[in-house]
Amino acid sequence: MISAPLLAWLQLRREAARLAVAIAGVGFAVVLMFMQLGFMDGLFRSATALHRRLAADLVLMHPHYDVLGKPTAFPRRRLYQALAVTGVATVTGVDTALARWKNPWTGRTRDLFLIGIDPAADALTLPGVETQRRMLQQPDLVLFDALSRQEFGPVAAEVTAHGPLATELNGHRVRVCGLFRLGTTIGTDATVVTNRVTFRRIVPGYGTARVALGLVRLQPGADAEVVRAAIEAELPPDVTVLTRRAFAHRELAYWRSVSPIGFVFTFGVGMGVLIGAIIVYQILFADIAEHQAEYATLKAMGYTTGWLARTVLAQASVLALLGFVPGLATAWRLHVLAHEATNLPMKIGVDRGLLVLGLTLAMCWLSALIALRKLRRADPADVF
Amino acid sequence: MEAPVIRMAGVCHSYGTGTLRTQVLFDVTAEVHAGEVVLLTGPSGSGKTTLLTLVGCLRALQQGSVVVLGQELLGASETARVAVRRRTGWIFQLHNLLRALTVLQNVRTGLIGETGIDAAEADRRARALLAQVGLAHHALRRPEELSIGQRQRAAVARALVSRPRLVLADEPTAALDRQSGRAVIDALRALAKESGAAVLLVTHDDRIFDAGDRVLHMEEGRLEPALPGHSKEGASCPHPSSAFSR
Repeated sequence: MISAPLLAWLQLRREAARLAVAIAGVGFAVVLMFMQLGFMDGLFRSATALHRRLAADLVLMHPHYDVLGKPTAFPRRRLYQALAVTGVATVTGVDTALARWKNPWTGRTRDLFLIGIDPAADALTLPGVETQRRMLQQPDLVLFDALSRQEFGPVAAEVTAHGPLATELNGHRVRVCGLFRLGTTIGTDATVVTNRVTFRRIVPGYGTARVALGLVRLQPGADAEVVRAAIEAELPPDVTVLTRRAFAHRELAYWRSVSPIGFVFTFGVGMGVLIGAIIVYQILFADIAEHQAEYATLKAMGYTTGWLARTVLAQASVLALLGFVPGLATAWRLHVLAHEATNLPMKIGVDRGLLVLGLTLAMCWLSALIALRKLRRADPADVF
Repeated sequence: MEAPVIRMAGVCHSYGTGTLRTQVLFDVTAEVHAGEVVLLTGPSGSGKTTLLTLVGCLRALQQGSVVVLGQELLGASETARVAVRRRTGWIFQLHNLLRALTVLQNVRTGLIGETGIDAAEADRRARALLAQVGLAHHALRRPEELSIGQRQRAAVARALVSRPRLVLADEPTAALDRQSGRAVIDALRALAKESGAAVLLVTHDDRIFDAGDRVLHMEEGRLEPALPGHSKEGASCPHPSSAFSR
């Protein structure tokens, strides 16, 4: 008359050093899982950083459009046609392209992501852009992402300290007149915002009659799905209309399909589970081996193999929970450090916490089930 | 007349298979009745422990008939065998207490067969048993804090806490000195007599032969007629219960 969980805990507690090793092992696996999932999510989330900053309820694009910077564009006329649809409040075009940036300090060139906007329209909800976009009404001025990679030169420090900085984009002379903060993404190392006219001077082949994206704001009370369908029905089939969320999903789908990120990090999570499972198996196996005579005695007294199995599974659950807590705390701290080092958006949400907790429990139970084979060999007749 | 607690008839048992097959029990027939303390003696290898494990459902019966507490063990299901185990008190040569548990918790493990009693009742009954074996003040200690004799008395309390009608013991005094062994066997006998349990006790410790009501002697797998001078059928407990509190 003793409960299996109580016996489980008392058996574990008796070997303090072994328990500490087990908790450290599970905790290590938990940290590994969190970091792999965190980097994967951070990379994918970074890919849609700009999407989340678009001042748009609906987005117009070429039907073959699948990733930012892709040179697919649709006729600019469609923007005005969309404006005529009931429920649409404003429409503005956004041009996108890759452009070669000349590092003013080294003279070396490197590709960055170039955005062309109408300085009079609200296109990007980025703090630095919202306040400084009026400056872009003058030609050949650009805003530079202060969170761009260092290879583009100490642009932010220079502009902050000494004002406008002259350089070249695709060989065209421009001046950096201000900064904003967006951050690097999976596909872009740096971002520059300019006006439509300067954009076309930098990218001469782009053409004046075409645009990459159309940003649609709805009138208050208008239903996004209804208006989306209405625009698509009204416009020729050379334009696709998506909600901003669906637009972000399309970007994610692209990166999932072309990059090994999903595979690499899922593999990493699997390694974490495997390492944890091996450690927990070793601990539980040693514990069962040590208590073999006691378990055989309990069997002789009428305790069933099922009851003893519950004890071992309870031990596995205790190890999972005791390892998860310090693992979560460590991973939380490492996420902050990783964010500071990489600028990737790294955050542990409730759903990911539950996912890792579930993986940890599954890992420990799997180990317990394997270790249980040892328990079945506890023959009560061997007590003698 | 009440049915015997144990009735064995024509029990044979072998270990191994093929040419390695060795028969260790030959046509064993015996009965043990309620309230009886029966010693099972004999040299090592005579098959007495094998017989004990067959009666205790720790081994499957191969041939013959063993009825324990009304259950025929030949061909009995695992469920039926576990049920018999739960109604049997076990005392082993080594105490086999769980090291992670207190003495009190160890005694409570003996209540496995008792469904429907709460923790307070389980504690009360375990403490009562510990008091009867003279360990009232050691309830919250760990087994390793006790002497070997005290541990074996705790094992006696564990075996008897559920008031079983049958107690099986395997060399319970072999590892003990004379005085400790005496205390253990007196505790066992007193508790068994009090609850009317039948005791089948395997031993070759001649210091405790006087504790049995009857002696079954085994030689090479067969029961021999009882040795003269060792049969004390019907004797009452000769030792006061104070003898084992030390």
